[in-house]
Amino acid sequence: MSKSTKLNNKYSWIFMAAFASALLIFGGLRDSGPRSQQDRIDAITMRLACPTCQGESVYVSRASAAEAIRAEVARQVGSGLRTDDETIAYIEQRFGGQVLLLPRSSGIDSLVWALPIAALICGAAALGVVFRKWRTADDGAASAEDSALVEAAMASTNVTDANT
Amino acid sequence: MFAAGGVSSSLGRAFLLVGIIGSLFGALASISSARSRDRTVARLIPRFSVLIFAAAIGAFATMEYAMITRDFSMAYVQKVGSTATPALYNFAAVWSALEGSILMWVLILAGYTVAVCFWLRKKMDDVLTNWAMGVMFIVSTFFFLLSFGPANPFAAGAPGVFDGPGPNPLLQNHILVLFHPPLLYLGYVGVTVPFAFAIGALVTGRVGEGWLLATRRWTLFAWGFLTFGIILGSWWSYEVLGWSGVWAWDPVENASLLPWITATAYIHSVLVQERRGMLRVWNLSLLVSTFSLTILGTFLTRSGVLNSVHAFSESAIGPWLLAFFAIIVIVSIGLIGWRGDRLHAPGSIDSVVSREGAFLINNVLFAIFAFVVLLGTVFPLVIEALQSRSIVVGAPFFDQLVAPIGIALLTLMAIAPVLPWRRASGELLSTRLFWPAWCGIGALALSVLVGATGFMPLLTFALGGFASGSALRQVVLATRRQGLRGFVGRANGGMIVHIGVILIAVALAASNSFTHSQELFLKTGTPAYFSGHSFELIKIVEETTDRAISVKALISIDGGKAYAPAITKYTKVGMNIGTPSVRTGIRGDIYLTLEPPVKQDSGEAHIKVFIKPLLVWLWIGGFLMALGTLLAAFPGRRRKPTDATSALIGSNDVG
Repeated sequence: MSKSTKLNNKYSWIFMAAFASALLIFGGLRDSGPRSQQDRIDAITMRLACPTCQGESVYVSRASAAEAIRAEVARQVGSGLRTDDETIAYIEQRFGGQVLLLPRSSGIDSLVWALPIAALICGAAALGVVFRKWRTADDGAASAEDSALVEAAMASTNVTDANT
Repeated sequence: MFAAGGVSSSLGRAFLLVGIIGSLFGALASISSARSRDRTVARLIPRFSVLIFAAAIGAFATMEYAMITRDFSMAYVQKVGSTATPALYNFAAVWSALEGSILMWVLILAGYTVAVCFWLRKKMDDVLTNWAMGVMFIVSTFFFLLSFGPANPFAAGAPGVFDGPGPNPLLQNHILVLFHPPLLYLGYVGVTVPFAFAIGALVTGRVGEGWLLATRRWTLFAWGFLTFGIILGSWWSYEVLGWSGVWAWDPVENASLLPWITATAYIHSVLVQERRGMLRVWNLSLLVSTFSLTILGTFLTRSGVLNSVHAFSESAIGPWLLAFFAIIVIVSIGLIGWRGDRLHAPGSIDSVVSREGAFLINNVLFAIFAFVVLLGTVFPLVIEALQSRSIVVGAPFFDQLVAPIGIALLTLMAIAPVLPWRRASGELLSTRLFWPAWCGIGALALSVLVGATGFMPLLTFALGGFASGSALRQVVLATRRQGLRGFVGRANGGMIVHIGVILIAVALAASNSFTHSQELFLKTGTPAYFSGHSFELIKIVEETTDRAISVKALISIDGGKAYAPAITKYTKVGMNIGTPSVRTGIRGDIYLTLEPPVKQDSGEAHIKVFIKPLLVWLWIGGFLMALGTLLAAFPGRRRKPTDATSALIGSNDVG
């Protein structure tokens, strides 16, 4: 590869990174327009659990309890007085504590959030340790065990040679 | 011992008993052959495998016969049979509840046992083969016992019953119920084969690489069936459940995803062991986890401890499955500990930036992925046990945690396929990643151009383009050198699978982020508009059959063909089931559901419209994954042993 192509490559990578960041920032930050009421209802009901159907969200469920909550959410969104989070807090208060699909981040429930982060740290640490160990452990020289193996193999070859 | 009941009932029980005895003797013959090296005993092993397969076929056929002839003397037929169920759904009704699905497990397991026996028919006097067969027979014994005892499908029913409700209406609504469960079970049960060989290798101490190569295709097929089964399950959810979603993070879905995750990690990391001899303990652990997770998943979802749409009912199989799970884990860990000295890896890793380094990172990511899914699934149980209060861990939890893992995996998929073994220089990376990176930029620019917003979806599209560039690069280079044979072999087939995965990731990101819905109240003759499409109610039709009354609203989209979302009332169960209607398109689907109440003569219909961008690519991706798996199972072209390891594969055939 000639030197000029290498340079081109380097600059084109910088250009690519800049271009990608610009596109991401532009696309990520631009306004996607106002959300419709139905979009808000969908977003809120996706975060609420149907109280009678074990783990399904209100958005998913066709049960009557879910219908009731959906109607209430639609009424709240229609009145336009509360934000999404306030609506959820209101529904939680009105229908009881079992309507949250997302575990709380307080008390023992927070473990469900903390443990994955702990797993990530452990995984990264283990990876670091393993790479370090593997890179330093093997210096390429034969161990005593290896030499013994070679000697044994040589010995057995000699025997076969002698036989033939 | 044989419950009072019809002929089918006694016959089915007799078949299961033969299966138990055959499996027990098969296990005894295998293990005693392994210990005594007696060839006459070894020759018996295939016969026992044929015997248990025949017994399993007999039991399953008896159940089908009872279902088809509507033998209401049996409790199971009373539960899921009905005179009104159409023939195909009646055939599938056998696996629509707990007892029948365990019976299907038995059938598939016996089938795998006989297939492995046939495959190894010339190696029956090998110790490792004997131990592996022994494990297969022991697992078979357990499942035959499960079916004979706590999950007995042949129990006699109450007298005087002449009809039943039929299967759950959701399970007689779409043709996919015929395929989704059997394919998924082919995947679950198929994991038993590599597991059996892993245990065989540990017991005999032959923990070298031979058995890995030998079982590679079995693992691959089990993984392929699991993948395809999961995709068909999502498809069923989309076509039947009416909330326009493909995945709800329901406990049963998670139970099928868990072994898939660990199996995916395994089929990657096993390459490191094959090539470099490293990661032996890790790979064995992944196989053991995969197999034990299939059992744990069955326990969680079939014993009634967790509830979900899939949970059939409470039953007595819980303690059995839990005990079996505990035995598998204890025995496997014990064996790995016992053979620890032989499992010590001789190799070393030169650089993180290498194929093996990437596989290691991949495995850590998959391990975290599996941990998150398992944690979210069992966390409500833990809270209930500790504080006797019930909480729900639902879709938003999984979505939030899995999205970053998915992004990390996509990044790895973009870089890893171009990495060489041992180490890579910056210059090499820069050359090889140049065009794939431009594919990523192209995908990103296109997404921004068509109006996509939000960091996560845009990042997914960009990385998706980058990763498909890397995958295509491999396939293009291989086909340029080797013609059509550049499509087969695990490296090339694997890249086709990668493209499938990328399509699925893109489809999920698009449909999760950009789905819009709207409720419309339609009157005949007056079209309503949403998201640039017109919806016009043509008429409402009512159809009555033996089993159900169905009301359909014929709706013309954009003045074209009529789509017919329906609500069906299954009269025997008294349950209303909505059936969505979908206009599929390359750019996006239009998904219509009919909302109750519907009156036939009113000329009015209340519908809900979902616009689902790019959703069809999810199914295309699924088919590509299946195709890629098949291609990967074909033997590809290998480097000749006399060639330099740096030589291009097949390059010297040309010159």
